[in-house]
Amino acid sequence: MVGASTIDRRTWLCGASSCAGTAVISSSHAEADDAPLRFGLTPVFLTSDLALLADLKAYLELATKRPVRLVSRRTYQEITALLVSRQLDAAWICGYPFVAYRNELDLVAVPVWQGQPLYQSYVIAGQSVAATGLKELGGTVHAFSDPDSNSGYLVTRATLVELGATPQTHFKQTFFTYGHRNVIRAVAAGLAGSGSVDGYVYEVLRETEPELVRSTRVITRSEWLGFPPIACPAAEAGSPTTARLREALIGMSQNEGGRKVLAMLRLDGFRSEPAALFDGIAAKMRIARRVPE
Amino acid sequence: MSGSKVPITIRVPLVVTGFMVVVSVFASERVLTRLDQTHTTQVQQLSDAHLEGLALALVDGMVREDIWQVFDVLDRSQRRPARVRPTQTIVSGADGVVIASSAPAEVPSQAVVPQAYLAAFVNGQTMAIVADRQVALAKRDVMFEGRSIGTIYASLDIAPLIAERREVLWTLMLTNALLTLTLAVLASVIVGRMMRPIGVLTDHLERSEANRVEVIPERVLAKTRPEYRRAFTAYNALAKAMAERQSLAAQLAEEERLASLGRLASGMAHEINNPLGGLFNAIDTLKRHGAEPVVRAKSLDLIERGLKGIRDVVRSALMTYRADRDGRALKPEDVNDLELLMAPEARRRGVFLAWNTELRDEVPIPASALRQIVLNLVLNACQATPRDACVRVTVTADDQAFELAVEDEGMGLPRAAIEMLSGRGGVPAPIGDGTGLGLWMTSRLVQEHNGTVAIEKGNRGGTKVSVRLPIPTGEALRDVA
Repeated sequence: MVGASTIDRRTWLCGASSCAGTAVISSSHAEADDAPLRFGLTPVFLTSDLALLADLKAYLELATKRPVRLVSRRTYQEITALLVSRQLDAAWICGYPFVAYRNELDLVAVPVWQGQPLYQSYVIAGQSVAATGLKELGGTVHAFSDPDSNSGYLVTRATLVELGATPQTHFKQTFFTYGHRNVIRAVAAGLAGSGSVDGYVYEVLRETEPELVRSTRVITRSEWLGFPPIACPAAEAGSPTTARLREALIGMSQNEGGRKVLAMLRLDGFRSEPAALFDGIAAKMRIARRVPE
Repeated sequence: MSGSKVPITIRVPLVVTGFMVVVSVFASERVLTRLDQTHTTQVQQLSDAHLEGLALALVDGMVREDIWQVFDVLDRSQRRPARVRPTQTIVSGADGVVIASSAPAEVPSQAVVPQAYLAAFVNGQTMAIVADRQVALAKRDVMFEGRSIGTIYASLDIAPLIAERREVLWTLMLTNALLTLTLAVLASVIVGRMMRPIGVLTDHLERSEANRVEVIPERVLAKTRPEYRRAFTAYNALAKAMAERQSLAAQLAEEERLASLGRLASGMAHEINNPLGGLFNAIDTLKRHGAEPVVRAKSLDLIERGLKGIRDVVRSALMTYRADRDGRALKPEDVNDLELLMAPEARRRGVFLAWNTELRDEVPIPASALRQIVLNLVLNACQATPRDACVRVTVTADDQAFELAVEDEGMGLPRAAIEMLSGRGGVPAPIGDGTGLGLWMTSRLVQEHNGTVAIEKGNRGGTKVSVRLPIPTGEALRDVA
């Protein structure tokens, strides 16, 4: 496929925090050209490969003609909080926090994967598990990726609520790994009997780390939902910074450095999408918030 | 030498080997015990370090009983390459229930800690080595704010240490075996060298038993170490004394031979003297009546017969005297000769000599020795036999042996004479004694020719002495000739 970096791709999720862990200084937003663009990264995606981060930073700096500071945190919640409190100019977050904070946030761009700005949530289990649905996985230890993740928590929770259950009642035990790759590791090692994982991450890992993925299998796939977007504080929606960033993202596939980053991410590019793209997730959220009878 | 059949050149190396085995077993045991202690300490230290590091990383996850965080730490630590590799790590909470293990398939979360771990630690120990599974089990209680929040159990692969121990054991065994072998060979060589003079001495002593006394040569003596040189010198003195004694005995034998002639001398003198009177008479007769042909012829005949008799006696004496100078075999004539030689002595003693000779051919035994034996025994018998009694001499020979029997009618042989004759007890030559020399000589000659002497009571009350000499065959015969 693409000239993907062969360097071990550790979880972008937890691991990235160590490389870009400098505290984000709470300051009045710098509109000046030389003020760094603060770009948050959630552990939504694949791996925190230093080469990828460096290339992304380099491309964004080139495209926005501004210094860029990449900010990573262990959990979705931390990044979301920073974004909502406008301590970040933009962040790559999950669809779930986007709909949860719909009033405080606005879309910058949405990644396009395999031609669509959509992805699925998978429920996976060990290779030898014969189950065909979530119902049959009752009584197993279940690994979620993050409580603020759509694919790694919300979808499964919503499905269970529809079945009249909750994760706590349906599974023997649940835990969060704070990374989609970790969910696959937990299931592969047998620590968890089943897990909820990002379908995009799973498919890409199937290609880059076949040994890890081989000992698991997909039990159910959700409907197609809005791909985790790049969002900005609603107040900044019309700012030149946001506009410049949107341009940079959408134009990524036109640039060689940008294509290199996209290749690593296995994405086609970014494009503008209406917020309605995430209605499906909003529906899941409403279901999940229902108290099962 | 001692009673043991094992030669000293083998016994000493065996003893050396024995000592070496004892030493090497002891040394190996010490080395392995020390190695064991070192390994145990090493495993203890490594496991302590491993668990200490883990505890630091795990404490957060343990406090929150975070399955994933605990597992993640264990999973990463498992991949660290080390001399003592963790094969399984289990983290349990304060209630003894597993939070997570590095191998969830074997020890799942929320299970109880396997009995194999719980049972391994006795008396508050924190480490136990399970040699048959090649693992060491270690545990560490994790404290947080002064309270126990759980325990880490680890199974460490100590196969490399066990392999090292085995390697050391093999190296020790091989080295010791080689060393022992080398020392044993060395001991064998050294003892062999040390024992060589004893071998020389033994050789010479054995040869002296077969009457071939040889002095150890001076060049051998010069190369010998002082302590052995003393023994060699002493042996040489002994050998010289023996050689002197042997030559003395040979001289004695010669003298005895002449003595036996001497003993015959008076008889022979009679034998010569008797015809002399007749001869002088015949000469007188010839002087006076020599003209008469009948008388002359008769006298000459008388003289001739007398001279013939004298000639025969003289020739026999000469034969006996000369016999030793040639090694020729015995002929029937030799026995006839002896009859002639003995006749005067027997007559002088008034003893009747009955010869029964059944020799047809030569007997391949030196004539001198046989003549001497016959002469001595017959003379002795004549001496022992009273007047008018008879001495019977029987001489026979076949392919196997020459046999002689002399039977007298005397009072029987004295005990000393019997011992002398049978050569028992290594009786020395009766030098200076004057008696029994003939019998000693006979015994010696019989022994020289590997013969036997039998003494028994004769049919007529006297003594019968039988001598049997085997006919030598092949090479032995040539030696004699």
